[in-house]
Amino acid sequence: MDSADNQAALEAVLKDEIIRMYEEVAEHPEGEFHFFHGRDAAERFGYDAEWLDEAPAGAVASFAGVGNPHERSNLQTGETVLDLGSGAGLDAIVAARFVGPMGRVIGVDLNPSMCIKAQAHAAATGTTMECHEGRMEEIPLPDSTADVVISNGVINLSFRKRKVVEEMFRVLKPGGRISITDIVSAKQLSQSIVNDPKLWAA
Amino acid sequence: MFGLLEDAGFQRVKSAVVPGFRFRQQSTQNSAEAYGVKAVMMTAEKPAED
Repeated sequence: MDSADNQAALEAVLKDEIIRMYEEVAEHPEGEFHFFHGRDAAERFGYDAEWLDEAPAGAVASFAGVGNPHERSNLQTGETVLDLGSGAGLDAIVAARFVGPMGRVIGVDLNPSMCIKAQAHAAATGTTMECHEGRMEEIPLPDSTADVVISNGVINLSFRKRKVVEEMFRVLKPGGRISITDIVSAKQLSQSIVNDPKLWAA
Repeated sequence: MFGLLEDAGFQRVKSAVVPGFRFRQQSTQNSAEAYGVKAVMMTAEKPAED
């Protein structure tokens, strides 16, 4: 097996582990995880109490972001927003508040059941959200779709970050912008971490 | 990540550390600090067409 085959195999295992972990957060938010999640985490990162009060409890409890991409997204009425790795939908729901009914909110998530959950959460707030199952390395959208791409703690999960960034560039309209929060490392992670899907996904 | 954004063609790339981010378990936090792991916010723009 060559290195490309090895990476593909590892990516497949990682995909399963990511789906498993985030489903666990969504289904059992009371559980213990490596990261803070739910309302405590959102408040820690400066989400307005009003946003959290108005969002469905399930969307808030499943929040597993690492920051607040809305802090500098400067979303405007009528804009199209793509939430890359939309999970249970909290960031998409917050984005919908800013872009309003003339705007468009699109989610992309690896897990189709998470898309269904996010759309249900958005509908419960009276907003509409499209959600597409797909990988962030091959975003299932045409070129120049979005005014803004937001993302919260998911790009670090990819083995192919360069491809993810190129895809964000592709789907943005000219003059569009990104506002993302994510985990970065100052040092190369050890091979034992890179090769362990559970640690990588955490 | 900063370099990847610039390589892809993004302009006005900016980043800032997310205050308040930490891992729940102290042992994980200690390992993260050893590797310089932190949460960052990044903003950037795709150039407008001429």
